[in-house]
Amino acid sequence: MTTRAVSRRSALRRIGAGAGALTLLPFLSDEGLAAFVKIQAAGAAPAPRILTASQYATVEALVEAIIPADERSPGAKEARVADYLDLLLSEAAPAPRKQWLDGLAALDAQASTRFGAPLVRLDAGQMEALLTDVSRYETVKARPDEESRAVTRNEQPSEKPVYVEGLFGDLSRLDRAHPRPPLEAFFADSKRATIHGYYTSEIGIHKELRYKGNQILAEFVGCQTQDGKDCPHCGQKA
Amino acid sequence: MPADPTLDLDLAAVTDESRRLAASIKPGTGQWDVIVVGSGAAGGMAAFQLATAGVKVLMLEAGRMLDHRREYRTMEWPYQSPRRFRVPPDHRPIAVAEYSFLDRPYGANPAYDRFKKVTSYSGNSFTRNWVVNEKEHPTTGTPYSWVRARVLGGKTNFWGRGALRYGPLQFKAASHDGYDVDWPIAYEDVSPYYDKVDVLLGCSGTKEGLVQVPDGIFQRPIKLNCVEVAFQRTLAKMGRRYIPGRAGVTTEGLLNSKYRTRCMGRGRCGRGCDISAAFHSPTALVYPARDTGNLTIRPYSVVSEVILDPATGRAAGVRVIDANTRDVMDFKARVVVLGAGTLDTTRILFNSKSGGHAAGLGNSSGLLGCHLSEHIMGPRGSGFIPSRIGTEPTLDDGRPISPYVARFRNVTDKHPDFIRGYHFQGGGGAYEYPSMANDLPGFGKAFKSSVRKYYPALLSIGGFGEVLPRKENRVTLDPDTKDAWGIPVLRFDYRFGDNELKMAKDMADSAEEMLRAAGAENIKIDRDPLPPGWSIHEIGTARMGDDPKTSVTDKFCRLHDVPNVYIADAAPFVSGGTQNTTWSILAMCWRTMDHLKERMRAGDA
Repeated sequence: MTTRAVSRRSALRRIGAGAGALTLLPFLSDEGLAAFVKIQAAGAAPAPRILTASQYATVEALVEAIIPADERSPGAKEARVADYLDLLLSEAAPAPRKQWLDGLAALDAQASTRFGAPLVRLDAGQMEALLTDVSRYETVKARPDEESRAVTRNEQPSEKPVYVEGLFGDLSRLDRAHPRPPLEAFFADSKRATIHGYYTSEIGIHKELRYKGNQILAEFVGCQTQDGKDCPHCGQKA
Repeated sequence: MPADPTLDLDLAAVTDESRRLAASIKPGTGQWDVIVVGSGAAGGMAAFQLATAGVKVLMLEAGRMLDHRREYRTMEWPYQSPRRFRVPPDHRPIAVAEYSFLDRPYGANPAYDRFKKVTSYSGNSFTRNWVVNEKEHPTTGTPYSWVRARVLGGKTNFWGRGALRYGPLQFKAASHDGYDVDWPIAYEDVSPYYDKVDVLLGCSGTKEGLVQVPDGIFQRPIKLNCVEVAFQRTLAKMGRRYIPGRAGVTTEGLLNSKYRTRCMGRGRCGRGCDISAAFHSPTALVYPARDTGNLTIRPYSVVSEVILDPATGRAAGVRVIDANTRDVMDFKARVVVLGAGTLDTTRILFNSKSGGHAAGLGNSSGLLGCHLSEHIMGPRGSGFIPSRIGTEPTLDDGRPISPYVARFRNVTDKHPDFIRGYHFQGGGGAYEYPSMANDLPGFGKAFKSSVRKYYPALLSIGGFGEVLPRKENRVTLDPDTKDAWGIPVLRFDYRFGDNELKMAKDMADSAEEMLRAAGAENIKIDRDPLPPGWSIHEIGTARMGDDPKTSVTDKFCRLHDVPNVYIADAAPFVSGGTQNTTWSILAMCWRTMDHLKERMRAGDA
């Protein structure tokens, strides 16, 4: 069991390497594997179900602006987050799907109005200016007197909690009792879906976060102070 | 819809096996001494104790058998799934915010076609083949997020692994604060059985000498990671104890089981542990019981009622509706042990009206269904621990449980606003998914690097508070609404009371107090209680006692009214403290089965 689990895992690391690795994944059907590999392979041509080619390009530009490539790892575009958003859209109820597509169109329209170019052709500074405006709500303090290291508290329970349907399900935790302009709501929804798509991707987990788990450990290591040593990770003394 | 092999598991082999088994086991195809209803912690332990003692047992499971090799998908990466483990919309779980305002029963209302399951880990892509469909299993009355699993092993396939003992403060809670009644038994009656459960099944933890949560016989504990050590040091200064979690997981291995391997530190245990280091009833109890040759398992067996022998007034057996064929059949045995889970056991008793028990079997006291209790959850807090901000992440989630803040209210002091208490569970560090990214503002390179910066530093705790047992918090049978097999469903009349709400407020306040003391950044406090039922720790609806006028079972979990019907699950529990329930179900069931075996040896059952 143990050996199999290890080879399964290392096989997944190599998934892009070719069909040879696939025989190590007995639990995936051939059809499922083919679909999976296609989605994972960064070079494969996109085949969106909902988005048009032009919308797909706009979404790629948007998600890459939210989580871009940097010196450490590729960004949301290479992680194929646009494919993930397209999948979410294809399975969303008609109302939130329309709401999200309307939001995308409105943001694109604002780009044209402000900069005379659609979203995909904005330069870095223009994109920054556009997204700064629609994300301003994130840094507005709930009350002006909040101290700088603010403690966020939600309100006491209401009989019927707020439910805000977004592309990515309930948005109420992000949007609690704050009806917000459509573009801000669109940004909140898109950012959350981008975070989910990116940090669950191979790039997000292994290259960006350098997550070290999901492997066989003799024993959970924990903080070195637990073994009576000074800990090099957190600096706490034994 | 793209093919999603991580979602659409091929279960043909196990469903075929289940149908074959169900078709081959009929009244008359065998003779059994005891019928055990259910195969989770209660049914599994009951069957194991009886079968290993040479008693012939028929186990009736409402769901199918389990293909644990295929269904425990511990090590799958999210990117193996195009949906990243999100459940598709036609299997959509009911979300937290939706739960309390949707019209009930969901199952009877076509407007809620898209809702099937309770959310949280019980309705995710790993457990969706185990948790019941709300449309087939509606409830009425006040909202109650009743998580049920119909599959071999029940909820033990995805339980949270919290293995905590009730102590003197729970068994004698009334003596401590004057509210309600004590259990008719003491910690000393049960502690030998907790010891046996620890040794049989494996329990990880540290000896702490705390009266509020007694020590057990522990295997190697799970260490704290860096943020947790910092939090532990803060809490020590406040006189509070933040201790390694106690997990129903073998960290050192078990010599008594060929089905289980020791913990390999991989995490993701809530999907089912594919090496069964975590306790799951099938591998830990049911298969070993079956290996004795004394256990027959009949899947797809929905028990509708206990049937009475009118001549003796004793139970003659149970009535079963085959979940697939709808055939109705009566199985006979000398003794019936109900381990369907607190609320389904209660429903079966309510529905057992033969032999002059119009109000339900065992209900001469009128208290069946009353005193429903669980834990109030929801108040929680999180923040970033300064010593880990901006550091390289370590492997922080390869373990079966996070640490535990032992109850500190009403242990030695007396809180002015409420009685009883609560504990916190939770920890932090670098987990596979950086959920804290949603709480960080901004976008672009600055956002991406701030996720990296705070990723190893998150610490998050959530409370579990005792819900006072109250007679008026109850379930009854709703004759007007039936489940998919035509059995009347439960109507809930259950609300959090003043004590719980004051306690919940204090939970949020003390979470904030502790995070502030730890110097945490970006503290977030949730104050809302989650919907009733969220703890999945329901107890108390057939409470035990010495007086048949004020209790449903005696102190050995046997119905006062019918001497050969026993309850193996948590329905007889008088009060539940703050502790997670499973380990007490296992210990109490073992004790009950010892009593039953003794009576059978004496020819008395």
